[in-house]
Amino acid sequence: MSGRAPWLLRLAAFVFLAAMLTFLLAPLVVVIAASLSAGGYLVFPPQGLSFRWYLEVLNDRRWQEALLTSLIIALMSTAFAVPLGTAGAIALTRFRFFGKSVAQLLFLSPLLFPTIVVAIGLLILASRWLGGSSIAVIVAGHVALSIPFVVRTVGAVLEGVDPATEEAARVMGAGFFQRYRLVVLPQCRAGILAGTLLAFLVSFDDAVLVLFLRTPLIDTVPLRIYSSLEFSPDPGVAAASTLLIVMAAIVVIASERLLAGRRVIG
Amino acid sequence: MASVTIRNLSKRFGKVEALKDVSLTIENGAFVALMGPSGCGKTTLLRLISGLERADSGTIQIGAQNVTRIAPEKRNIGLMFQSYALFPHMTVAENLNFPMRMRRDYDPSERSLRIDRALELVRLPDIGDRYPRQLSGGQQQRVAVARALIDEPNVLLLDEPLSNLDARLRDEMQIELVEMRRQVPITTILVTHDQTEGLTLADEIIVMREGRIEQAGAPRAVYSDPATPFVADFLGGANLVRVDAAPTAYNHWRARAPDGTGVPVPSPPDGRPGPAVLVLRQEHVRVIGAGQTADAIVPAEVAAVAYRGQSAQLSVRALGQRLRLVIPPSVRVEAGEAIRVGWSVADSRLIR
Repeated sequence: MSGRAPWLLRLAAFVFLAAMLTFLLAPLVVVIAASLSAGGYLVFPPQGLSFRWYLEVLNDRRWQEALLTSLIIALMSTAFAVPLGTAGAIALTRFRFFGKSVAQLLFLSPLLFPTIVVAIGLLILASRWLGGSSIAVIVAGHVALSIPFVVRTVGAVLEGVDPATEEAARVMGAGFFQRYRLVVLPQCRAGILAGTLLAFLVSFDDAVLVLFLRTPLIDTVPLRIYSSLEFSPDPGVAAASTLLIVMAAIVVIASERLLAGRRVIG
Repeated sequence: MASVTIRNLSKRFGKVEALKDVSLTIENGAFVALMGPSGCGKTTLLRLISGLERADSGTIQIGAQNVTRIAPEKRNIGLMFQSYALFPHMTVAENLNFPMRMRRDYDPSERSLRIDRALELVRLPDIGDRYPRQLSGGQQQRVAVARALIDEPNVLLLDEPLSNLDARLRDEMQIELVEMRRQVPITTILVTHDQTEGLTLADEIIVMREGRIEQAGAPRAVYSDPATPFVADFLGGANLVRVDAAPTAYNHWRARAPDGTGVPVPSPPDGRPGPAVLVLRQEHVRVIGAGQTADAIVPAEVAAVAYRGQSAQLSVRALGQRLRLVIPPSVRVEAGEAIRVGWSVADSRLIR
């Protein structure tokens, strides 16, 4: 089809896509360019070219602490979200139960959970029963945000797993936990790995929920970017942002690879 | 090894009665084929014996043990799936080791010895460290058989074991399965919709229809003496002619076809006159040339000829309906030609 389209149409499609990509990528390009500035102000185009702001950020105690906090929160919420989401994916694809289609809809639509609503809900709960927010409350919020991603990636792979393999294991003498540990879950490895990466990213990138649930002692990388921008907008903000962009890109590409690999193998 | 005894087994899925009060005994060491069109209940029966489905009522006994309420993982059964269900993330050797590992049978050195022997049995030595995706369909099929057999189960269940192979490989594997069975004489239950598969492999075939057993017996016996029109049609696609039968003198029987033609027929099983079905196997009806004779001869008009190399299939109009014939390719007839077809009374059957 595409090979037969008249050249004018093809040119129009090319121009259209190029314009769209420019629109999508322009903010990223501006941030990356600004981060490479040699000057002291956050401006575009950058003044001169250097990596000095990357060194500044990486050597700044406040950025280091923010990074550590972000990592702790992201690792903890990933550690909860992955087993919970995997169990959810198994329940949704393998078992029949009342209200399953509603559960499926809720689980599989991350966009049904607006971050801000989760944040406000948790804030109300935390101040009512826990006397205020804490790292644990933020982790709980991130777990809620990441679970749908894990359910999706694991569920997608699980759909392609021959249900007969579980039955075969059963007839060969494997009990419930053995069947899942030795036969079903190993076949979902790519989905679990992709889900892990996405869950980590959801938590690490989050600014909205943390903004609501922060305490004076909690500072994460996105929060630090936000507050630096308010109080001392130097190219270090752009450098930190660029590091986030790079990390997100790596995660997305890696999980795409993992999920695509499944189709090739399966 | 063990016998399998099934008593009054029923199973329903929602509104569908998949199995209706089925009773059946399979002797120790027998090779039985459950046959029938899809939806006849054969797969349900197999899954009930494996324990992957639970019966609504009735009992299943393997050897001396009533297993009706015993979980599949404790029944010691070998089951080979239509999709083979090999574990893609394990090597062939790991796949074969799995049942022994789960049931804690044999020590490690004995296990690896058994794996080598099983691979030799299916004529695939030296593939132990390969993954299933690196094997051809036929090789995967053999590994699946080996995995089902390796832990010496009481009963071997085969669910459409050859249906994923191409025609040539299927013929080869049928012969190999017979060979393998001679070396490992284990009670085996095969589920198949393919009639030649059942007739070739099994000592006994059980033809099922709508959740019930329609007829059971040795392959030759069931093929040559179908008890019902359904069995006659399912096995070999026999021609079925609705007739009205009546005895003549000297204890011979004649029947009238729908178009009024009278033909000699064998005596009906119950010895009573009236409406019956005349079963004419495709290979028993011949084209009668000039000077040839047969017990029954009727005029026919050739509708279509399909040349098949070793034989030809002929479709004719006779007795007021369409009849199918398998004839030698040397017999030359053309569509539209008026011919005579005939058969011997001893080859035909009259059933209700």
